[in-house]
Amino acid sequence: MIEVSDIVKSYSIGGQALKAVDHASFTVQQGEIISVIGHSGSGKTTLLSLVGGLTKPDSGKVIVDGTDIWSLDDNSRSHFRNRNMSFIYQFSSLIPTLTSLENILLPTAFGDFPGDVRAYAEELIERVGLKEKTNAYPSHLSGGQQRRIAIARAFINRPSVVLADEPTGDLDEETEQDIIRLFSEMNGALKTTFIIVTHNKEIAGQAARQLRMSNGILTGAA
Amino acid sequence: MKKIKISWLALKNLKRKFIRTFVLLLLVAVVTGTLLSATIFISGMQNALRIGTYRLGADVLVVPEKNESQAKAALLSGEPTSFYMDGDVYDKVKDVEGVKRASTQLFIKPTSFTCCYNVETFLVAFDPSTDFTVTPWLQKKLKKPLADDEVIAGSAMPLMTDDIIPFFGTPFNVAGTLEPTGMKFFDQSIFMTMQAAFEMAEKSKGRSVQPLELEKGKISAVLVQVEDGFTPERVAIRIEHQIEGIKAIASDEVTSTVRRQLAGLLKGILLISAILWILALLMTGFSFYMIVNERQRELGLLRAMGATKTHVFRLIITEAVILSLAGGIAGIVAGGGLLSVSKAVITRNLKLPYLLPSLPVLTELAAGALIFAVITGLLASLLPAVFASSMEPYDAIRKGE
Repeated sequence: MIEVSDIVKSYSIGGQALKAVDHASFTVQQGEIISVIGHSGSGKTTLLSLVGGLTKPDSGKVIVDGTDIWSLDDNSRSHFRNRNMSFIYQFSSLIPTLTSLENILLPTAFGDFPGDVRAYAEELIERVGLKEKTNAYPSHLSGGQQRRIAIARAFINRPSVVLADEPTGDLDEETEQDIIRLFSEMNGALKTTFIIVTHNKEIAGQAARQLRMSNGILTGAA
Repeated sequence: MKKIKISWLALKNLKRKFIRTFVLLLLVAVVTGTLLSATIFISGMQNALRIGTYRLGADVLVVPEKNESQAKAALLSGEPTSFYMDGDVYDKVKDVEGVKRASTQLFIKPTSFTCCYNVETFLVAFDPSTDFTVTPWLQKKLKKPLADDEVIAGSAMPLMTDDIIPFFGTPFNVAGTLEPTGMKFFDQSIFMTMQAAFEMAEKSKGRSVQPLELEKGKISAVLVQVEDGFTPERVAIRIEHQIEGIKAIASDEVTSTVRRQLAGLLKGILLISAILWILALLMTGFSFYMIVNERQRELGLLRAMGATKTHVFRLIITEAVILSLAGGIAGIVAGGGLLSVSKAVITRNLKLPYLLPSLPVLTELAAGALIFAVITGLLASLLPAVFASSMEPYDAIRKGE
């Protein structure tokens, strides 16, 4: 479960404070899929980064599974991310010198992962339908395939929360649908919570709930 | 493969920009190699000087005034020479206050007509009845007095015990060979008794194409050991004051010339090494700054995956350590190889003594060079690593866009 209360984040541009996120509050139940829609520059990505513990809020609280992540020190927050959260980005987030399998295993470099992580990584790569690309480098994968590998990587730590920032951007419609289907499958199988930031209304419509972001102000939150 | 290790990730990152990694590695290798070969070279010369000075055994060397530079050249670089003065100089020298012991020597320069080898050699004849410089270490090797038909060969001479070698038409048995000292005066010399030298000169008139012009009773040098409480310099001054036409060279004066040359050489090498090191430090540091800058998004993504600041810091530092370690090893191999190839050319041109340091010393120097290379890598990557680890993950991801 995610509880965001009265969170504020502002940037100083040309000596003036610009509120990227302005007193946003919302709650997401465990296993729920929600979408955040809004125009470019509306503050969606900043909101996602605040929830994910990647940028410090000016004020407010983010509680993930009972932990106030901004009350933790940087190390503890990193460990918390490593164990409980994952991110999926619009851009290619794979390391070019690592194979698909190695990219999926990358988060294991930063924490204690019990069990046979390699076997689990192979299971994930099979689940995203790219078993034959296990040892392929990103340069030998299409944009859609790279995104699927990034999704597989997002599940290596069996996260309770996946934060996806425009996960289908730059992809054709068919691949877009594949990815949304994959999210639903993962959500069904692992009861993972998804927050999907998008400006694609069709994608947003497939989420259980929609939040709207405009000029840093969040609306539609329950 | 179970988990991914930071060191493995660092290695993969280095392979990514192979040419840049190779250039940086080469730079570290050049600096390490230069420093190591310079250190071994200097150490080798100091080693030779220490052993050579010990072997010389005399505090003061008395030679004809006009032959001072030849005598120094003979001692320092083993340059063969011939010069003579009257034997009564010996009697005068031993009576000078502060002289504990004195002994005579003859320096004979054989020509290619008088010897069967093309190797540049130098004949040194000593008086066994008074000698205190050559005999002690000849005895170690020979265990018996040197006979008048025998010679002892320096380590650089292509001779073996029981070989027969003729000088000025007289054959001599090689009674033994000496250990290397690094000083050509010892390594390229043939030692014989004074009596043998005079007999050889006498016989050469009938046997040699080019006879040895050496009058009985002549000497080339008087070697002096000073009494306790007297300095070699003070005794040298007294000798010069009391005897005309001679030059008394204190042993310190001989070695101080080399030490002066060495100090100059050392300064030059240190300066070049320092410049190279600063250059390597700046270039490696700048390269690592560029590496961090161009990988900002990637580093941000690693943080998003749960990498701590320490993980990022370790990743950059590990890349630097792998690079400098590999560069250091390459430099040690290349530097050592280059030195062994060019040693002969350098020592010939510098006219300085040289003796390769022992294996433990060489190992210490190589280990020191490797540590130096790693420290260089660490220093160069320290600031970029601090910068990389202190970035806020979200900023790093955005700036890398």
